[in-house]
Amino acid sequence: MAALPFELAPAIAALPFVSFLIALLVGAFAPRLLPKGGAIPGILATAGSLLLSIWAFVAVSGSADGMYHEYITWVAGAGEATLDLHFGILLDPLSTMMLIIVSLVALLVHVFSLGYMNDEGETGLPRYYAGLGLFTASMLSFVFANNLLMAFMFFELVGLCSWLLIGFWFREEGPPSAAKKAFLVTRFGDYFFLVGVVGVLATFGTSMFVGSENMEAFPHIAEQVLAGEGAVEVTTFLGFEPQAWFAVLGLLILGGVVGKSAQFPLHTWLPDAMEGPTPVSALIHAATMVAAGVYLVARIYGFYALLPQVLAFIAFVGGFTALFAATMGVVKKEIKQVLAYSTISQYGYMMLGLGAGGYVAASFHLLTHAFFKALLFLGAGSVIIAMHHNENMWDMGGLKEKMPVTYYAFLSGSLALAGIVPFSGFWSKDEVLYEAFVHGLNSPLLLGAYAMGLLAVFFTGFYTFRMVFLTFHGEPRTDTARDPHGVGWNVKFPLAVLGILAAVTGLVNMVPVQKLLGVEGIDFLHQWLDAGPEVLSAHHYSTLTHDFAHYTAGTIGSADLTVLLSAGVSLGLALAGAGAAWLLYDVPEPVRHTDRLGRIKTVLFNNYYQDEFQVWLAQGVTLPVAKAADKFDQGVIDGVVNGASSVSLFGGSRIKRVQTGVVSNYAFLLTTGLIVLLVAFGIMGGWF
Amino acid sequence: MAAFELPPWMALAPALTFALTALVLFVVDSIDPDSENRTLVAGTATLGSLAAAGFAVWYLFAGTGEEPIVLFGDALVVDSMSLFFAVVFASVTTLVCVASYDYMADHHYQGEFYALVMLAATGMTIMPSANSLAIVFVSLELSSLPSYALVAILKKNRGSVEAGLKYFLVGALSSAILVYGISLVYGVTGSLLLPEVASGIAGTELNGVLGVGMLMIIGGFAFKTASVPFHFWAPEAYEGAPAPVSAFLSSASKAAGFAVAFRVLTVGFPIQEVVVGATASVDWVLAAQILAVATMTLGNFAAATQDTVKRMLAYSSIGHAGYALIGLAALTGGNDQMVLGASMAHLLVYGFMNTGAFLFIALAEHWSVGRTFEDYNGLASQAPFACVAMTVFLFSLAGLPPFGGFLSKYLLFAGAIGAGFWWLAAVGAINSALSLYYYSRVVKAMWIEEPTGDFDIESRPVGIYAALAAAAIMTVLLLPGFGPVWEYATGAAAALGA
Repeated sequence: MAALPFELAPAIAALPFVSFLIALLVGAFAPRLLPKGGAIPGILATAGSLLLSIWAFVAVSGSADGMYHEYITWVAGAGEATLDLHFGILLDPLSTMMLIIVSLVALLVHVFSLGYMNDEGETGLPRYYAGLGLFTASMLSFVFANNLLMAFMFFELVGLCSWLLIGFWFREEGPPSAAKKAFLVTRFGDYFFLVGVVGVLATFGTSMFVGSENMEAFPHIAEQVLAGEGAVEVTTFLGFEPQAWFAVLGLLILGGVVGKSAQFPLHTWLPDAMEGPTPVSALIHAATMVAAGVYLVARIYGFYALLPQVLAFIAFVGGFTALFAATMGVVKKEIKQVLAYSTISQYGYMMLGLGAGGYVAASFHLLTHAFFKALLFLGAGSVIIAMHHNENMWDMGGLKEKMPVTYYAFLSGSLALAGIVPFSGFWSKDEVLYEAFVHGLNSPLLLGAYAMGLLAVFFTGFYTFRMVFLTFHGEPRTDTARDPHGVGWNVKFPLAVLGILAAVTGLVNMVPVQKLLGVEGIDFLHQWLDAGPEVLSAHHYSTLTHDFAHYTAGTIGSADLTVLLSAGVSLGLALAGAGAAWLLYDVPEPVRHTDRLGRIKTVLFNNYYQDEFQVWLAQGVTLPVAKAADKFDQGVIDGVVNGASSVSLFGGSRIKRVQTGVVSNYAFLLTTGLIVLLVAFGIMGGWF
Repeated sequence: MAAFELPPWMALAPALTFALTALVLFVVDSIDPDSENRTLVAGTATLGSLAAAGFAVWYLFAGTGEEPIVLFGDALVVDSMSLFFAVVFASVTTLVCVASYDYMADHHYQGEFYALVMLAATGMTIMPSANSLAIVFVSLELSSLPSYALVAILKKNRGSVEAGLKYFLVGALSSAILVYGISLVYGVTGSLLLPEVASGIAGTELNGVLGVGMLMIIGGFAFKTASVPFHFWAPEAYEGAPAPVSAFLSSASKAAGFAVAFRVLTVGFPIQEVVVGATASVDWVLAAQILAVATMTLGNFAAATQDTVKRMLAYSSIGHAGYALIGLAALTGGNDQMVLGASMAHLLVYGFMNTGAFLFIALAEHWSVGRTFEDYNGLASQAPFACVAMTVFLFSLAGLPPFGGFLSKYLLFAGAIGAGFWWLAAVGAINSALSLYYYSRVVKAMWIEEPTGDFDIESRPVGIYAALAAAAIMTVLLLPGFGPVWEYATGAAAALGA
């Protein structure tokens, strides 16, 4: 009998699911009975989830083995060489931390939705809150999943919910199309993920994240195989050695991650997903959909840590995406577009951190980003309410005086996003870059990824403060901006909570301070992520990256100097970016400077033509190939099939004619047949 | 084991039971020649068949044939293979006797009919036991001659009489070929006993004479199994004969032909010496391959274009002879238990499903439904139970799961692949796919099509229904119960030294 908070763990996901059912069923059959269109049940459910998550968090820190793991078998394999499929709950430091993030952001998004959706008189609210409930439930289930297959199922459910919510305003032209795009692009990645899941099951016979009495975890099996320990046997395919085959599996699973976490080249769906309601964007970007990808890599980090090539790939894709997306964010006109590209860029940092062996750093950035990005989206939502749903920043300006709560909260989030000390984003981004830097000193590829990540810091500072200045500073540029719509408590409350969190969350893991000042014990997150079971602990992962991926930390001068250098450079670049924005845009009447970019501007406005490229891929490559395949199918395959049947029937009718009904013919044919046989065999056997 | 020891000749009990039943029926018929007491004669025949089946099953379970019992100066041998086939014949005979109770209701010569069936069954049961070419010929004739009469038993029906005559003429020709082949082999080897034939072959130089004799013997078996090019009688005879007789001939008689072919070819002309050895003379395996491919292809292709259901089934039974021939065509001279056993198991399953299918035709003829596919349109709405049974038979014949025919055909093809003859399996698979087409035509007609006219179905003949139900249940049960069948089939194959 496990402790009570663990017994209640299924309710963490079940509560939002119940709110989904309530919103759906009551909304369909008795809409008048549904308070606030389903918002109240949703708020209560997510608040309950938050409390239970916190309870579970406390219980995990107090439990003997630092985790809780329970599962049921829903498909039992029969006989030898088969495998069982499970549903289960794994509560360890990482998953409980993520549970709190998700349920907290979900709660605040629900509250904010009261202001954004209910007060604005939107229709279809039960559908909206049903979607939010299911979205939250799926993500929470995904987070505490104990095996890859279960994770995949809820991963897909998360994708489905994002489709439902992005396309919430389905009567307009843009949202349905954006929803479809999000669905299809992420599905493209998930296709590889699915193959990877099957591959993992076929290779290891299990997809468990953590071992139990009668079953090993698959990352642990992989570790033993690569270390050549014991008599562990795995089945590899296509003639690959275990090392190479595991890398293939890792890359396949990464396909799903790249799609969901909007990494290059599957990032294109995310900016379009801004068509959805802003609270949904906050949920997608901060805590659910996009976070799922990175969380998955962190979840099975014990597997990726064994695969140096895949790690390098993750780091490089992450660094590239961070820079690539940041440059596009520089020229955007709409406030949510800037935030969208910043999300892509920030998840790039997390991938960079994971690829560089910084498991804690990436989880840390996931934590801080969840808060400041949710804050920025909700802040943007508040601005959008005030601006009567005009999102163009060139129509804003001077909102600082009109909406101080929003301004200061937004500013807190912006400082965090730009990475200005002491706001949360500084600490986490700095740690990511530090990890990439010290490991990059021994690996040119990582150093390249680091360089891109570092350069992106400048752009981040620039586009963040360009957004802040254009929105809140200067003179109001339109009548709406001069007389904005007021916002209620239900908007200000979430902003205030998140504003504080965005400012202070970084304090949970002040590694540079610890290193420089020698104050022991203030790297709480490190300790926390190290506290769980051995195979899921941070130091185990760093052992793995050291032993299998040969990651070693280099220094420049002394260790302290390296820390100072890394933090100083990134802070300096962030300040430089922010300063450039201040110079250009913090003026009463800011003007567009993008024309100075010349032809680069066109490229940036068109997002490096990635959309066009993908459309070309679909229309110029896939469609002709599909047409050719169709032609082949219609002409050759069907032709063969039809031909075979007509030949069969024709042959059959010929044979029918041989059966004349005249018995002397039969005798003749029979004798002839025998003689032909005799002669043939006689010649063959040399009888004559 | 047993409290008492039966005399060795009692090993022939299944065949003796059939013979005795035939004699009893003759006695009954001579006492009261004009008797229309169907219950008595049909009951006697059924009881006799059941007793024969009981003996065969009992012996199999008791392990009688595990150590082959050799009788009458080595002329007969009783081993697990002959008992296995005795079970097949006795089961089919029982089903046929039960179904004939209703089918032959309005006909004369009741006593003769059942007596002929019993005599033919006697011949068939002796065939797998034949250890001498003389016995081979005599038993084959014993099963054939009553069959000619049985096909023609509807004396007033022109089709029946014509079919009987054609069957007899082709059969006479084939018997002549067979006996000529036997005489040539005797001339070369100096013996009629199969083991001595085998040893005689080893020392002979007369390969030409031996080869001609061997191919002629194979020709004689091809007639009995309705294989190309000795198949011409089959469509006509099956179509013209009363449907229970068609069932009897196409299931039991064919299996008997295979049984005797298995023994004669593997024991009398061992592959090691005759086909693959250093002194290899005649590649009869190649001949079997040619016959197998030709037979299944011709049977299935012809079946695909038929208009009448009974004739379609006749050709499909030729096709199935082709599948069963794989058992001979994929032999390699070692480790042949699997493919040979699969062929025997297929013949057992086939005995039930094919008999069942023909008995459904018997039912349709009893109801005067008509002969073509269109005549069957919508039959399921009138006779759902019988149509379910027919669907089971047809899908099992096509080799679809979850019926017995799936597993036996699967093992047959798997055995062929295992022996290295993947192309045989491929041809078999293509033919199976084609067969699904024409089998489903019947199913579609029965279940999906709208009736074109009114059916005049008044009675539910108990006998035919009982036989249909039994055959259907066996066809379905043979999938889960395939384990013991497979055990005995491979045991029977092992008895041949394969």
